[in-house]
Formats: sequence, C-alpha cells, structure tokens
Amino acid sequence: MAFNYDKYLRVNKMPTLWCWGCGDGVILKATIRAIEKMGWDMQNVCVVSGIGCSGRFSSYIDCNTVHTTHGRTVAYATGIKLANPHVNVIVVAGDGDGLAIGGNHTIHGCRRNIDLNFILINNFIYGLTNSQTSPTTPRGFWTVSQKNGNIDPTFNACNLAIGAGASFVARETMIEPKKLEKVLVKAFSHKGFSFIEVNSNCHINLGRKNKMASAMENLDWINSITMPLKKWEALEDPIEKENLLPTGVLREVEQEEYCEMYAEIQKAAQGERGKITQADFEKKI
Amino acid sequence: MAREVISTGNELCAKAAIEGGAKFFGGYPLTPSSEVMHVSSDLLPKVGGVAIQMEDEIAGISAALGSSMTGVKSFTATSGPGISLKAEQIGLGFIAEIPLVIVNVMRGGPSTGLPTRVSQADIGQAQYPTHGDYASITLCAGSLSECYTETVRAFNLAEKYMTPVFMLLDETIGHMHGKAILPDLEEIEASIVTREKFEGSPENYKPYDVPMNKPAVLNPMFQGYKYHVTGLHHGVEGFPTEDAEQCEFNIERLVGKINTVAAENDGLDDLPDYEEYMLDDADICIIAYGSIGLGAYEAVQKLRSEGIKAGLFRPIMLWPSPAKRIAEIGAKFENRIMVTELNMGQYSKEIERVIKRNDFATLLKANGRPIAPAEMVAKVKEMM
Amino acid sequence: MGTFKTENPGNQPVWVNTSNCKACDICVSVCPSGVLGMVYEKTSTLGAMISIDHPEACIGCMECELSCPDFAIYVADRKELKAAGKSFAKLTDDSKARQAAIVANNYMSLEEEGAK
Repeated sequence: MAFNYDKYLRVNKMPTLWCWGCGDGVILKATIRAIEKMGWDMQNVCVVSGIGCSGRFSSYIDCNTVHTTHGRTVAYATGIKLANPHVNVIVVAGDGDGLAIGGNHTIHGCRRNIDLNFILINNFIYGLTNSQTSPTTPRGFWTVSQKNGNIDPTFNACNLAIGAGASFVARETMIEPKKLEKVLVKAFSHKGFSFIEVNSNCHINLGRKNKMASAMENLDWINSITMPLKKWEALEDPIEKENLLPTGVLREVEQEEYCEMYAEIQKAAQGERGKITQADFEKKI
Repeated sequence: MAREVISTGNELCAKAAIEGGAKFFGGYPLTPSSEVMHVSSDLLPKVGGVAIQMEDEIAGISAALGSSMTGVKSFTATSGPGISLKAEQIGLGFIAEIPLVIVNVMRGGPSTGLPTRVSQADIGQAQYPTHGDYASITLCAGSLSECYTETVRAFNLAEKYMTPVFMLLDETIGHMHGKAILPDLEEIEASIVTREKFEGSPENYKPYDVPMNKPAVLNPMFQGYKYHVTGLHHGVEGFPTEDAEQCEFNIERLVGKINTVAAENDGLDDLPDYEEYMLDDADICIIAYGSIGLGAYEAVQKLRSEGIKAGLFRPIMLWPSPAKRIAEIGAKFENRIMVTELNMGQYSKEIERVIKRNDFATLLKANGRPIAPAEMVAKVKEMM
Repeated sequence: MGTFKTENPGNQPVWVNTSNCKACDICVSVCPSGVLGMVYEKTSTLGAMISIDHPEACIGCMECELSCPDFAIYVADRKELKAAGKSFAKLTDDSKARQAAIVANNYMSLEEEGAK
C-alpha cells in the first residue's frame, strides 16, 4: 500500500487536465500529503481556487471546494473563514491570479493576517491562455503579448507578502516535493496568513518559446534561479543576490490573527468582556 | 403590536437584514450607502455575526458570497459605481446560485456622477447587472417602513430562489430620517425562509440535480456534504461542463426559476408586488416608485382636491415586474398614464413593453434633484 | 477514468498506474538509482510510457512518487515490504552509473531501441 491518495482526491476526475509534467500536480500531491500530516478532516477543509490552470486544483481535491472568479480567491476565502473560523481554508492561485488581477486582495489578506493558507503557484506566465506576460515573467522572455521580449520588471512575490504583513512567508519549488511538503505542514500549522510561493514549470507556454520546451529543461531553469535561503544569505555579490530567489521559510512570526481578534469584538459587543481598549491592542501587537 | 421607530432608510435596511437572519456583511464604503455598513458593524457582532470592511467593492461582495456559500445569510451594500465593480461576482452568484442580498442606494451616474444626490437610474443595471443570461429579482423601497420590510423579504427571496436579490433604495429614502412602523420581531422571525437542504446520504447528493424552473439545493458547507461550487457552467454534481444540452438547460432554468415562476404564480411570494392608491375610480394613473412614489401620493391628493380623479400605481417588485397588473392598468387607462422616475425612462420602457403602447406621458429627471408633487400635478394637467 | 492503484500489486518496491501517466520523464530524471526508463508506447499521450527496468535497485527514496504530477507511480511502504520478506536496495555505484546513462540517453530505457 502506498500513500492513500484516494481518500483525498475525486478519483473519477483523473487523469488531470494539466499538461504532462505540470508542477500543479506535484503541488496538489504535496498539499494532500501535508493535509494528511496535519490530520485534518476533509469535511472541515475548504479549498478555494481562481482562474487559470491552478483554478482546476479545487475540482480534484475532495473537500468543500470553490472555484471563484479571476483574482478574487483571497476575498472569497476571507468570507468563508470569517463566517466559519473553525475550518481550514487553503487558497490556490497562480501568479497572474494572485499578483496581477488579484494583487489587491493578496496584499490585504497578508495585512489582515487572517488564518488562510495561500499557495501561490508561480509559473512565471499566463499558461492557460497561451503565454501572456505575468507580473513574474522575467525580463527579456518572449510572450505572446510582448512579442519582442518582456520589458516589465518583475514582482518578488515573497517580498511583497512580507511587506504587506503576512506572518508566514515561504518559497519553495516543485523540484523538491519533500521540502515543499514540509513547508506546507509548517504553513498549515501556522496561525495567521501563510503565504507560500511555489515556483513551478510551464514548459508548454513559457518554455517552448524560451528555449526550455521540456519539463526537465524548465525545471533546470527554475533550479538555476533559486537557492536555499542559508546559501543565498551567504552570497556577497548584491547583484547575484537580487537575481536569485531564496527558498525556505523567509518569515515566521507570531501575530494576532484576524478571526481571533474578531471573536474579541463579538465578545465585547455581547457584553461578555469589557470594552476593547487601546491596552488590548498594545499587549497583542 | 407593531413597533414604532425613528430612523433612516439605510439604518432600517441594516436592522432588517440582521433581524431577518443575516450573519455576515462584506462591503466597502460608498456614498450614499455607507450607513448600512456602519450600522451592520455595530449590530452584527452583537448577534454573533461578522461585518467586514474589505479592501474594495469586489472584495466586499466576494467575501459576502464566500460566506453565503457556507450557508450563512450574507449581504453587501453599495451604490451604482460599486455595483459596476461587483458585476462579475454578481454573475457568479447567478450561475452558482448563491443567495445574497445586494443593497443599492441609488445616486446619480454614470461613473462617479452625483455621489450625494438622488437618482433611480440603476434600475436597468439591477435588471441586467452582469454579462450572460439570467433573471434578476429587484425590490424597491418606497417608504421608511419598506426599507425594513422589503429587506427582510429580499433575504427570504434570495434563500427561496437561490439567487442574488437587489434591494434598491434611492438616496432620498436612504437618508430620510423619520418615523417608521415595523412589524413585530416575532412576526418577522416567523416569516424567515431558509434555503432548502438535502437530507439524504452524501453519496447521493447532487446540488444542481433539480428539475426545470427549480433552484439548486446547496447544503451548508462543513456539515457532511462536500461539493464543488464554480462560476463555470456545471453539470448536476457541480463540476465544470461544456455539454451543449446541459448548458442550455442551465440557462433556461436560471431564467425560468424566476421569470416563469413569477408569471405562472403572479409573483414570487405572497407579499404585494405593488401598491395602489385611489386607483379604483381614477381617470388618470400616475406610475412612480421609490422616493418619487412618496411625492406622487401628494400629487394625487392635490389633483383630487382640484377635481381631477388621479390615482397611483407604485411597483415594489421592479423585476420581474408585476406585468399582469401593469397590463390591466394599460387596458384601463388609454392615453391616461403618466410615468415619472429619476432617470431617462428606464421603467417607462418596461411599461411600454408590457402594455405594448407608448401612449403615456413621462415625467423624467436625471439631474440629481427629486421630482416635486407640483411638477407631477402640472404634467397631469398638461395631459388633460 | 483513472484509479489510483495505491494497492501494491504483489510486493513490488515501485509500481505504475499507466492510465494516469503522461510520460513527462520527471520520475525517470529524479531516480538516483537507475530503476526507471521510458519506452515507446504509441497509445500513450506522448508516445511513451514508464518502464520499471530494475526494481531490484529501488532504494525507496520516494522521489519518483513525490515528483509525479499525475499520481501515476507509487513506492511501497517500507514496513509492508519488510513484512513480505523483501527490502529496498542500497544505492550502489552501478546503479548511479546506470542512472547517468539513462539521463544521457534522454531518459529512455537502456533496453529500448533507438533514441527519443
């Protein structure tokens, strides 16, 4: 007996619609294995996805699943979580979904520090819609919307999340699924907004036009632009540092969680505790 | 024993939402609707509910839809520009059949328009707020009391028909401060409708496996029934499909569950879809709704005092319109109807569609000012 | 419609669900021990399929299973395998050399005729 994936997947939806070698499947698997480690009851898990290849994530995993509109995942998930603080909510979005059209919701989710687990699958391109530039497409890459090469500077998604106040921020790649699984367990255990950027491949719609047409070539490229945090920190050349994406847990702090704070508001409103005073905020922040 | 309160339209709307069972508000400040959020943020935590001010209009409705998907009665409030921003999510509400009350306190448009001034120019938007085919339910409050009663009704209709419902106020009604007579709380609680639930075995649960013209049966989440909700066309189990027959059935059902049902049953519930004032013996019929309806009562009285037998027809459920009654009025009052509204004739078009004539007068205004009873009187006299 | 076939089909260290495999080569590339290789299979998505050429060399590291995007390859539970009187192999120089040769052969099985 291998790991029992049947327990967590909608078996009749297999094989997935994703292309051969697509990292989405690896991330789906790591997520399932992390859920198993957490011991979560799937009745109390909600997976919210947006639009794009990653949007299909929610139809494969067997729990309460919501496939929302483009970019609005974090906002829908905020409603789901706030109305049901006892459940575990996982949000899955791509780089276009979470950083372009849904960028505002991403940063405000981070800022609120609401207990959502946000998996940002970064494949550096709009894959589903045939290779348009995304906020993480490297400069100089060929895309169908910038046929002479992309001139847009890129977002560093994790720095954005840290800047916006997420209390758990990590970056992993689908090349190292064991590490990814471990980081997901950490993220799921963390109380507050967990932001996990997972660098993934799209050898079909990023690779074919950028000299990495096979999954393996695309993965080699991801490997070449990422580096474990400790090694990265030891780098001396600031330019080299800027050009490489550190992997691992980049931020992990304890911070007041939004649903818990709201519960205090409810208690105060219902007279179960005294008024919320400035001192409450001082001791907790 | 009815309750007497002194309040504003916006406040009454929020109060009604909460007394009508709402436990979640997601929104964003937008004049002239913001007081709905203000009051909700005060009242909801008291009943164990949540009110959250989100980062933008889209997030406001998204959070409310997310909450409603889990089985919690939810609402959002905004004005025209906010509805424009929320449009795509409203569409998800229609196709995925998520109950939601969307309060729109109407101001002048288009775009930023006249933020602090009255308008009724969003009624067309309420009928077709987003792309695609669907049917919308839209209620319009014509008094402070109706801000309360119709909001309760909006929640009940949303749950009964599994759809977003528009609750329209206009700026005048929303900010009007005065006495309102409200039904007893017990009466309200007894009237509350909660969405239907599938009770069988989870293996047999197919949320969208319902006959033509019936709403989906979406169980509350986290109670033993795992399923998939999507904005894509979906089959009976809720998973995406492009099957032509299924997609056609979906659209016919979405439209039919509201329009066909309303036509067959003369309305969507047992409550009045319109109000008539001195219409029985009238020679001339004024059609007005919302705050303009209030002025129209006075115009009718004034005209009567001058010997002109005027009457008022005031629709409350704008969409689907009380077409049967409008057709009867059309047959009775040839060349003797005056439609007055704060837009360039959005409801006049519906009257024309239903009575299949355009022999009626219109008194329209779209400059952010109300229509005074004297203007209505003058217009009616012109017609005589 | 695929099934996962997570049940071990007979005390194997590693096994494949061919109905889920899309022949992306990833499992072959991550194996340290030269267990896997691709073979031609004209009925499959990319005209190829995984072949378990050297199950006896499997070290049970799980890399293939965890890296497979399509739930197509599974590795036995170490304890279960032991209970059946079997065990995973140790990583040897021979296996490493074979793996290098498979990678150099563009992930094709060394037993398969012709290059990919």
